[in-house]
Amino acid sequence: MSGWILASLGLMPTLLAAVVMAGRGAIPGRLVAVQLALSTTVFLLMLLEFAFRQSSSLDLALALAFLGLPGTLVLVLFQERWL
Amino acid sequence: MNLASACLLAFAVLMAWIATLAFLRLRTPFERLHVVTFFNIVTGGAATAAVIAADGFTQRTFKCLLIWLAMVGAGALLSHATARALHLRGGERL
Repeated sequence: MSGWILASLGLMPTLLAAVVMAGRGAIPGRLVAVQLALSTTVFLLMLLEFAFRQSSSLDLALALAFLGLPGTLVLVLFQERWL
Repeated sequence: MNLASACLLAFAVLMAWIATLAFLRLRTPFERLHVVTFFNIVTGGAATAAVIAADGFTQRTFKCLLIWLAMVGAGALLSHATARALHLRGGERL
């Protein structure tokens, strides 16, 4: 098992904790947990590309990094005005 | 994979776990925003450095560098926007 796979597995608990925290508690806490889950997913996809030599996952990480900004901003705006 | 990239990967995972523990330990969303920034800069930086140490400067390592810079830049903006939104809502449901 390569170091990339081990590192990817090591990041899984972080992602799991962020996803669990995004599903419970007050809405502001969930919003921050979503941001942590987004960051973890991006770097996890980055490591998976080196683990499995599949270039599409790096493009997916790049797209997620750039689309995460407007997506989270919409969530923040929704939280600020209506929730 | 060489020794430098293995050490950097281990450091990245260790920092990710520390960030997770801090996220679970801290109570308010304002405190937790610091954890997200820490994760973006330290874990992302170490993972990107590991990629560069393993592959050198290739097309995909430049992509990884771009991803890290995007996450750091977007993270700063999102932290500000989130803190502002929470502050405007008065923090009554923190």
